[in-house]
Amino acid sequence: MLEQRRIQTVIRLGGSLLILAGITFFYRRVITDVNSTTVALSFLLAILGVATAWGLFEAIVSSVAGMLCFNFFFLPPVGTFTIADPQNWVALFAFLVTAVVASNLSASVKRRAQEATRRQQEVERLYELSRGLMLLDKQSPMAEEIGYRIAQVFRITGVAVYDHAKDRVYRTDPANPSISEAKLRDTALQGTVFHDSLSKLSVLPLSLGGKPIGSLAILGGGISDTAVNAIGNLAAIAMERARVEEAASRMEAVRQNEEMKSMLLDALAHEFKTPLTSIKVAASSILDEERGLYRELATIIDEEADRLNSLVNETIWMARIEAGDLHLHKSPYSAADIVSRSLEKLRILLKDREIDIEVAPTLPGVLVDAELVGLTLRQLVTNALKYSNPESPITIRAVPQDAVVKISVKDCGPGIPKAELQRIFERYYRVKHEDGVPGTGMGLAIARNIILAHGGEIWVDSSPEQGSEFSFTLPIARSSGGPQIS
Amino acid sequence: MSAGKILVVDDDPQIRRVVRVILVGEGYEVVEVRSGDAALLKFREFLPDLVLLDLNMPGMNGLETCRALRETSEVPIIFLTVRRDEEQKVEALDAGADDYVTKPFGKRELVARIRAALRRSPSFAITGPNTFVSGDLEIDFEARKIRSGKNAVRLTPKEFDLLRYLVSHAGKPVPHRELLQAVWGPDYGDQSDYLRVFITHLRKKIEPHPARPQYILTEPWIGYRFAGPE
Repeated sequence: MLEQRRIQTVIRLGGSLLILAGITFFYRRVITDVNSTTVALSFLLAILGVATAWGLFEAIVSSVAGMLCFNFFFLPPVGTFTIADPQNWVALFAFLVTAVVASNLSASVKRRAQEATRRQQEVERLYELSRGLMLLDKQSPMAEEIGYRIAQVFRITGVAVYDHAKDRVYRTDPANPSISEAKLRDTALQGTVFHDSLSKLSVLPLSLGGKPIGSLAILGGGISDTAVNAIGNLAAIAMERARVEEAASRMEAVRQNEEMKSMLLDALAHEFKTPLTSIKVAASSILDEERGLYRELATIIDEEADRLNSLVNETIWMARIEAGDLHLHKSPYSAADIVSRSLEKLRILLKDREIDIEVAPTLPGVLVDAELVGLTLRQLVTNALKYSNPESPITIRAVPQDAVVKISVKDCGPGIPKAELQRIFERYYRVKHEDGVPGTGMGLAIARNIILAHGGEIWVDSSPEQGSEFSFTLPIARSSGGPQIS
Repeated sequence: MSAGKILVVDDDPQIRRVVRVILVGEGYEVVEVRSGDAALLKFREFLPDLVLLDLNMPGMNGLETCRALRETSEVPIIFLTVRRDEEQKVEALDAGADDYVTKPFGKRELVARIRAALRRSPSFAITGPNTFVSGDLEIDFEARKIRSGKNAVRLTPKEFDLLRYLVSHAGKPVPHRELLQAVWGPDYGDQSDYLRVFITHLRKKIEPHPARPQYILTEPWIGYRFAGPE
């Protein structure tokens, strides 16, 4: 490459000298009767041409050669380098200075034009790169794609991109060892630019808002610092964008999976309801007709169908809550109404139990989804029934408290160990020593979600052998009109 | 003499079977079909007094079937539905159903709902006025004819009963529970969403500006009031 340029320079110098020789020949042999000014101007013209076309070095050599020719062939005494008339000394000097200055000017204009072209080309390439980075194929790693794209657009072979998040280096030219992995890693962490003009290697950190993203190494010259910085910025933005997109799509995948699971569960639960309906209708009809032995059996079928149904309902609610699909349909109700409606549905279970109901006579209205809050209260009451001695009483209270109505269910069971108090509202969690009691571990989790969705709180007070008291609060409805149904 | 003719529409054979057994046992005449299309065909020939309609069926679903039936008939329609979500209930009532029963249901519940839907001439009918005229609205309860402006208005039986009860108590707010029990029966009282849908239907049919009702007024937190003639 260097050899080539040297040969080129020699050829151009030869050419310049040939032109000068031609002019000399022309004025010596073809048109002989001209004054020296004409000759000098002709030389100047040729030198300007050389400066514009080839460069400063060729022009200066031509200037000196032209001066010598002018002196030797045209200034008297002709044929010698001596000058008789002092006036001609001035002319010769003026010629030399004019030639050199003009060459310089002309060459610098050319240089600037070249520079401008180069800049323009760089800007075009940067634009091409930025467009390319927008449309990158998402299949392979972003850092790798970026490296290839830079190499392709700027026509260089050695590009390496280091992805800090994945701690990996991607090279366009894996055989080229001159870009060390350690160098890339250091640059990314320290955030300083490394430049080696001898090997024409630039390593620059990629960061966005002070956060290190990686680093970029470019081997091979010809790209201005400004352009290198711009490439760095583009690469940093592209990598960060890819990272954010990847994270978002991962989240989306998780969410969709969850949604899918919930939908499936929901559909399955609904499928169960069709055969349950046939069983329920059949059992309840026998119950209506039969007075003898089979009445007891039909009662069992009927009650078990109800139990299966509430399990299915729990599953559906759980699926909905997990899918974030818990929509409340709120209406104004009196808290006393909620309590009595819930207990009505539990009539069979409560038949032989001692239940104390303490509902304050003047309870303000609450704005609630009655079905869901009823589900919560029934859950707490069924838990109290399940986890306490059948002979012991259960107390249900509803009292106003500041801006809420507090509803609580107290049993006289064994209580809940302190270590487990926090965990019992987690889904699928079941108190350890109560293995004999049937349940899914979903009930309290559902209850908690329902109450939280209403803007209330749910908690448990319990001490061993003293029983447990589950309480939840519901915000009082602001309207002063009183409850809708009482 | 049967207690009434009931068309049962459900795609599940076991449900059709068990429902048929109990309804026949209760003295109803029952015809069962397994799809919405079949229901529409059978309807014309059988002319039932009531339709039990499954909401989720392959092909023409319950809602579409209900709307199609409503185009030609005011027959009481009860939906059988699996879902308990409010939107679907409202959608069902909106399509023109009179009531719905959530699966799984027991025999007593189903029979009670059917009786409520078939119930005619509610007890309050005797006490209320026989005609009502105010502005553009003319109601002849005896002949079951209603005219709003120049148009004759068609009401379903439940809409008609609801209107009649409100008119017979014109000027007084009627609580939700009272309305539900008067029109649907003593087993009802908590279904305020029924009222919302039926009142909306009534307003669309008789109010000149349904969004700014002048006859059927909402009493917040209590119920509804029919504005009597001044």
